[in-house]
Amino acid sequence: MKIYITGATGFVGSAVVHQALQAGHEVCAVVRPASKHQLDDHGTGRISEARVDLRSIDGLADSLEDVDIVIHLAAAKAGDFATQFAGTVVATENLLAAMETAGVKRLIGISTFSVYDYLALKPGDLVDESSPTDQTPKLRDEYAQTKLIQEDLYRAFAEKDDNQLVILRPGMIYGRDNLWHALLGAEMGPRFLKIGSKATLPLTFVDNCADAIVLAAEVLHDAPHRVNGEVINIVDDNLPTQSDYATKVAARIDVPQSIQVPWPAMNAAASALKKGNQVLLNGRAKFPGIAVPDRLHARFKPLNYTNAKAKDLLGWVPRRSLDEAIELSSTEVTT
Amino acid sequence: MEQSNAGSPRSGGAQRMLRAAVVGSGGISKEHLSFLSGQSHLTGTSVHHAQLVGVCDLSPVSAQYAARTYGEAEAFTNLNTMLAEAKPEVVHILTPPTSHVPLATACLQAGSHVICEKPITTTSAELDALLDIAAGADRRVMESHNYRFNAGTEELAEALSSGKLGTLREVEVRIALPVTDPAGRFGDPNLPSPIHQLPAGVIHDFTTHFAYLLLHFAKGVHFDRIAAAWSNHDENPLFRYDNLDALLIGTGPEGPVHGRLRFDAGAGPDQFSLRVYGSDGWAETDLFQPNIRVVMPRSGGGQLSPIVNHVVNGASLFRDGVANVGRKIMQRTPYEGLHRMLAMTYEALATGGELPVTVSDMRATSRLVDSIIADKVRI
Repeated sequence: MKIYITGATGFVGSAVVHQALQAGHEVCAVVRPASKHQLDDHGTGRISEARVDLRSIDGLADSLEDVDIVIHLAAAKAGDFATQFAGTVVATENLLAAMETAGVKRLIGISTFSVYDYLALKPGDLVDESSPTDQTPKLRDEYAQTKLIQEDLYRAFAEKDDNQLVILRPGMIYGRDNLWHALLGAEMGPRFLKIGSKATLPLTFVDNCADAIVLAAEVLHDAPHRVNGEVINIVDDNLPTQSDYATKVAARIDVPQSIQVPWPAMNAAASALKKGNQVLLNGRAKFPGIAVPDRLHARFKPLNYTNAKAKDLLGWVPRRSLDEAIELSSTEVTT
Repeated sequence: MEQSNAGSPRSGGAQRMLRAAVVGSGGISKEHLSFLSGQSHLTGTSVHHAQLVGVCDLSPVSAQYAARTYGEAEAFTNLNTMLAEAKPEVVHILTPPTSHVPLATACLQAGSHVICEKPITTTSAELDALLDIAAGADRRVMESHNYRFNAGTEELAEALSSGKLGTLREVEVRIALPVTDPAGRFGDPNLPSPIHQLPAGVIHDFTTHFAYLLLHFAKGVHFDRIAAAWSNHDENPLFRYDNLDALLIGTGPEGPVHGRLRFDAGAGPDQFSLRVYGSDGWAETDLFQPNIRVVMPRSGGGQLSPIVNHVVNGASLFRDGVANVGRKIMQRTPYEGLHRMLAMTYEALATGGELPVTVSDMRATSRLVDSIIADKVRI
């Protein structure tokens, strides 16, 4: 089948393109107009490129000609709210409108674990697809806010005509150049503030995640009754704790000098700050993300995770273990 | 015909609420919408005359998000539909500059007052035509001159008008912003900003700020000698210019006044500094990191004044340093002046008073912008 992949030149997109080609599919990769990225067809001759910017609808419908399914990975992960709104929400709105024009009816919408309502979860709770999403995300970061709106757009698309949809919510995706990440802590000047050590990390290795994404496209195409309309979380097996993961990564690559702060202490400080802000300052004060409970809990709260639904519906098995993944990733980094 | 600065008095006085709508929900709309929703704590007044009734954007999800987030307004993707159904008394036009004239014309002819982001038009001839349309429709139109209403600008103006600095000799306005950054809204080569279409490109967008700030301090000065060096030092093909160095010399009621306007995309950190030089002293501020420094004759005479100036300005630097931490936490951004200006605008519209940016302010600003970008002054 012909798969249209947005965000195809990014960290996850490159892996998804590779896996789709390996699986024998034809790929149309979305590349931004000014990008100098050279697509690699991995010797298959089955890749084409669409030079479009999703923030503009110009040329989008034409680029979707003969496409069987869209995997929508593109999103803005940095910048102010307006930037992320344009890069994530408006981009998705344009893509879905163009799919309607072009008559493309199948969509794998890539979402994120960030959409869950972490303040509503208790420590130790199991996060699965039935966990509540954040309905009042005003105090969450721009990424969570815009991805929540994006999910609404996905659902509105699925309600139209006979469109078909699977929403995938990957946890933290790690891999080459992305081993040291935001679930371990936050930069604080020249140091790194490690927040907590015992929380389980909802990780997925980029190649494992790419496998799941391509599998979802195949199942939606071949057996839509099994997955149409489903939300599926993507995390690997045998998830490590923060300290186990940090130790393994630190053994392979240079990591920043860190200061450890226990989760309970950080949680208590952020909660007190929020209460003080509400009582004394009418909630007008704005603090760094790790001092805002709504954001702090989303990154560091000790919770449990499952990939049972992904295994059941997609037949997915994470092919790389944590140790293999870190070795593969760090070898790439140092060569 | 001429739009009057003061509108007709309306019934209801201070409590009158005006139905307001917004066209364009890009970056700056957040400031306008938070004001209209009554959520702003930066207006300097507790009286609120605006009620948000509509948001219009070509993107349905953008219009819906803004309408839902900032009140219970309706979302529209067509301006004429919004004008007919929401019937706004005031429309804020926040779209790219080249779209301002047709949108403002439609709003004025539908009976709405217009508040428009700068530059309201790309030439002063267009502005004259738009003001005629406003006068013909008996509506008012106002260009945002937001930085004029920042506390720092007002303090500098006060230092001048109090006579502490003597008679005005020179005004310097300097902006340093990395507009060519590919990750920024102007520098992104994938989807070039419509601002690049302005006659002087991206810096044209900032030239309105230069012009109204210069004229605010140099009241009554006619600048008749102008030389402007427009450069593209980095040779970024997306940009016409990334650097402006303009010198203006004019004569006012108290003698000659120089103006120096600088924009540098390569200098850091971000800066928006204002300096006014008088015959007896000078004062400066940075609207991005407010701190007022005033160097002037102090008690103690000529010999002690330099020392007293150091001590006083040192204390002021420390005080403002602490205050700026508070400003950061309390989200008092450089857009504070915009909120203040909007509050004054709605007060004027509700009571029939004079708008904070008058017709003559707009005309003088637009003509000065024309002069600064004119081919004949380029060096």
